[in-house]
Amino acid sequence: MLNSFQEILAAAKRDGVKKIVVPSPVATDLPLLAEAAASGFIIPILVGNKSSLEDLIKGSLLAVEKYTLVEEKDPQQSLNRALAMVRKGEGDILMQGGASPQELLDALRDKEQGLLPKGGVISFISVFQLLKREKLILVTDTFINNNPTLVEKQKILENALQLGRILGIEAPKVAVLAAIEQVNPGIPSTLDAAILSKMGERRQFGKAIVEGPLDIDCALSHVAAGRKGLQSVVTGNVDIYLVPEIDTGHLLAEALVFFGKMQMAGMVMGTSKPVIMNLPFVSNKNRRVEIALACLACRKGGNNG
Amino acid sequence: MIRSLADISRLAREKGPKKMAVLAPEDEEFMLAVKKSWELGYIEPVLIGNTKKIEAAAEKVDFNLSPFQKISDDEHQGISDLGIRMLFSGEAPIAGKGQIPTSYIYRSIIREEAKAGSGMTVSVVSFWEVPGINHLVAFTDTGVNIKPDLEAKGEIIKNAVFIYHLLGYPRPKIAVLSGQREVGGKLTSYKDYEALQKAADGGDFGSCEIVAATSFTDIFLGGRDCRVDYGAINSEEMPHILLVPSLDTGNIICKLDFFLDVTRSSLVATSRGPVCIPARSDFNDNIVQQIAMSVVLADRMEKTEKEVA
Repeated sequence: MLNSFQEILAAAKRDGVKKIVVPSPVATDLPLLAEAAASGFIIPILVGNKSSLEDLIKGSLLAVEKYTLVEEKDPQQSLNRALAMVRKGEGDILMQGGASPQELLDALRDKEQGLLPKGGVISFISVFQLLKREKLILVTDTFINNNPTLVEKQKILENALQLGRILGIEAPKVAVLAAIEQVNPGIPSTLDAAILSKMGERRQFGKAIVEGPLDIDCALSHVAAGRKGLQSVVTGNVDIYLVPEIDTGHLLAEALVFFGKMQMAGMVMGTSKPVIMNLPFVSNKNRRVEIALACLACRKGGNNG
Repeated sequence: MIRSLADISRLAREKGPKKMAVLAPEDEEFMLAVKKSWELGYIEPVLIGNTKKIEAAAEKVDFNLSPFQKISDDEHQGISDLGIRMLFSGEAPIAGKGQIPTSYIYRSIIREEAKAGSGMTVSVVSFWEVPGINHLVAFTDTGVNIKPDLEAKGEIIKNAVFIYHLLGYPRPKIAVLSGQREVGGKLTSYKDYEALQKAADGGDFGSCEIVAATSFTDIFLGGRDCRVDYGAINSEEMPHILLVPSLDTGNIICKLDFFLDVTRSSLVATSRGPVCIPARSDFNDNIVQQIAMSVVLADRMEKTEKEVA
């Protein structure tokens, strides 16, 4: 089981070199790609106007590393070209590069040209390294889905369980979060949480132990949960936090980063091949962990189970 | 200007003891908080609830209840109605929740506000004291409104602004929080931010300012074009009040004190005085802090009323 970002980086290195396809890379991508290439877990394939790319690379740390350039004169087509390469297996991982997050997401969801398997849901998982002990926790969905339905929440949870497997978490403990720990028909998140918890009880999520609804105090503290009369192996030792919707998910992830100063790396799940986004609340150092996570997701079983 | 929970504790000692209607203090942890608050000179408790359970809890924490008024009632709504009525009739300037579901208390407050014709919406304000930030930061509404609409959000802002004025901030800054980000179109929470900012600029919420920031990335990085650098996280632009989009968001984030290096203190400000509403999972030191906050606000509300009179 991987318990820290350091262990993720080491495991990615052991897995061998992966080809990472980047459409129209931006300047800030280059030191990151150079570092990951130097560490020995990727070979970048940069898609775009070759002469512009050569100018960009000149003088950067990537210049001394192994990389490939793919000519695509039309900047509008760089993303589609990169996507096609990954789909055909000419690359292992897709990175956002110069595309906007929305352009990337739209392209991934495209029925013909995208990377979304039929019936799947693309979701974003924030992986946090705990401050006081060696453990990783996953919080989802923190970026992509606005107001997921129950069916979508089920898929989002399955995506998180898949990442849990990649990290070696055998029987993940899941907290389905809501405002309160009681089932209240007036608070829809508590109903969804109760249903997901019941599905877990019936082994519909394999070995995962799914508890919900849980308010955050019960999820975080076994003692606090006990004071509310709630006994569960999940409380105080959660691996996966499933949030009700995006206002909560995005703000929660940001709060842990900015108030808690917790190291965070993100992972897109649900696509047929690993994808790396470029978000402002992920530090440059942790973007390297995102590349390593994507490399680990290239293993058999892959990104969408 | 009150900047920290230490300021609150000092002022509570100066301004106390104040009579506090304590609703169902039937749990050891909560009773210990009542005992400590009495010993610190913050409150003089009036204990309402099942007398046997109250006495059993007091015995466990070695608290002699003989000097205090006790009112026996076994039923949750009855206990709550009684205590909140004491607050609204002026018999006690503070009410405080023990082991009783909060929904009963909110129901009692809503009824009394309606009777008083105050027009005040009930909302909960949860203060955070955060190391490195030189003022208290308040999340609201963290307890009552499940999914407030634009109008309700306006009322929630007014309540929080009222409290910050009492704390000595003549023009508090407010961020209307939203999960708005680079994908997913415009969220309702973001549309509400746009409308609320216009209303605030038009003076609808009194003296306050809604800042151009809806996420923590905006607040800490000054916009979403920058990238976080853990060595240089800057909290100078932290607003005083953070309006949360829903109860789920508010409750989940404000109780991160179980995890992060922050201290939380929550209360409801009614038109007649504060109601202290610790979570059922809170520990005694935290509850004492919340009681201190109520004492200080009660004192300031009394002063304001006298000035108006």
